[in-house]
Order: sequence, then C-alpha cells, then structure tokens
Amino acid sequence: MQISTDEMPGGITRVALDGRMDIAGAAVVDLKMNLIAGSAKKLLIDLQKVDFLGSMGLRSIVLPARAVNSRGGKVVLFAPNAMVESVLKTSGIDSLLPIHRDLDAAVAALA
Amino acid sequence: MFALPTAVMHASNPSGPELRLTLKSQLADLTLVWSWVEALAAHHSLSAETQFAIQLCLQEALSNVIRHGYSGQADQPITVECASTSRGEIIFVVEDHAPPFDPLAHPHAGQAPAPASIAELEPGGQGIRLMRGFAHRAAYQRLPNGNRLTLAFTLPH
Repeated sequence: MQISTDEMPGGITRVALDGRMDIAGAAVVDLKMNLIAGSAKKLLIDLQKVDFLGSMGLRSIVLPARAVNSRGGKVVLFAPNAMVESVLKTSGIDSLLPIHRDLDAAVAALA
Repeated sequence: MFALPTAVMHASNPSGPELRLTLKSQLADLTLVWSWVEALAAHHSLSAETQFAIQLCLQEALSNVIRHGYSGQADQPITVECASTSRGEIIFVVEDHAPPFDPLAHPHAGQAPAPASIAELEPGGQGIRLMRGFAHRAAYQRLPNGNRLTLAFTLPH
C-alpha cells in the first residue's frame, strides 16, 4: 500500500492511494491520512489505484474525512474502480462523501 | 440456515488447490487468505467480481473472529473450508473455537439504516454490512465448542 500527496490549484490536497486497503493497508496509510486531515481544507481522495477496500480501509477514509468536515472543509472521492465503488455504496458512504469519475467535476465539487 | 453438503467436502484436492486453510487468530495470518483465494479463483475460473466478494467477506469474517470472537487472543485456531455445490455455488465455512458469537445477529448486520451524516457514521461497524451485501447467502451455526459461519457465492454458469 502506498500513499502520495500533491497540492492542486485552488487549495486542493490530492491524496492518491495505491494498493489493497485491507487491515494491513489501512495500517500503512492511517498516520499519514490523519496528518493530512489535520490541515487540509479541500481533500480529494484519489482511489484510481485502489484494488481492494474492506471495512478497515473504509475507516481510513471516513475518519480523516470526518475530521476535515468537522473543520468546515470538503472531501470528495475520485475514480474508484467498480468493485471498490460497490463497497462504498453498500456501506452507504457514497451518500455522505460524493464520488466523482471526472477530475474536473471532483475539483468543482470542492470549490 | 443451510447445511454444508458433506458429500462435496474434501480435506485435499489432488487436482487443484487445497480446500482447507488453517489460520491462527492473528491479523498477520489474514495475508494467507489472499493467495489461497487467488488459487481457488483460478481453479474455478471465477470472475474478478466474485473473487473480490470472496476476499472481502473472508477478510471481514476472519477479522471479526480474531478481534471479537477471540477478543484479540492470539494463536487460537480458525479453519476455512471451501467446497463447490451442485447448486452452482462456491461456499466457504469458517469455524473457530471462540465463545458464542453470531456476527449476523449484530446490530450492524445490514438491517441498520445508513447513517445520515458522516459524523454519525460508525467507522468500525461496516464489516458485517459488507458481508451481508457481498455474499449471496450467509448463515451462522453455534457449534458445541465454537462457531461456524457459512458464506455462499453463486458461480457463473
């Protein structure tokens, strides 16, 4: 599991996750996700390269998203594959954190 | 509730991958499940979607046993058996020797309404909802000295 960040125009922090978001993967990214969530105002979580998402991986997305939201910030999820998206939908998280497939739309949602 | 058809259970399978996986109750052992399911998926020509559903349900079921059933006590036994049935399903039977623990009776077993806001979302409560959503059938049985969870997935025709 890998995690990388870059700053996009408009004050958007893009966090790209890469790998399997199972218990082990969640443990790898948790600390960095929490650090990012401590300062980001507009967070784009890029799920393009996530090939598995379990409940502990969901937790690694939800807790930082909650932290950003609680400070008045915004979070969007970007480009999960079909199976990862079905996990997001089954858990109901898609109704709380918008999912976008188009980068421009994701950026617009954070404006 | 449905019974495991004993006629199709084999401890070993000379023509394919092992049909039984034995784990210890430690999260590190969950990595063994990945390669085991990959081998079974190749043997049964499972779709990527079915393989994903199996991996997801087994990861959730086994982590439940480790964290809740055995309460984090390491080195306790867990077995997973795989069988295909005449009903066109592949089934996985998870057995442990933990105190009674029926995950399907848990409040998060898929019946609870989805949270209304992210602040209300209980981040740890999603595993059972996911198992319910991704297994085609799920059944719990209390054993004399443990628990049995059976998860069934429909095979492509």
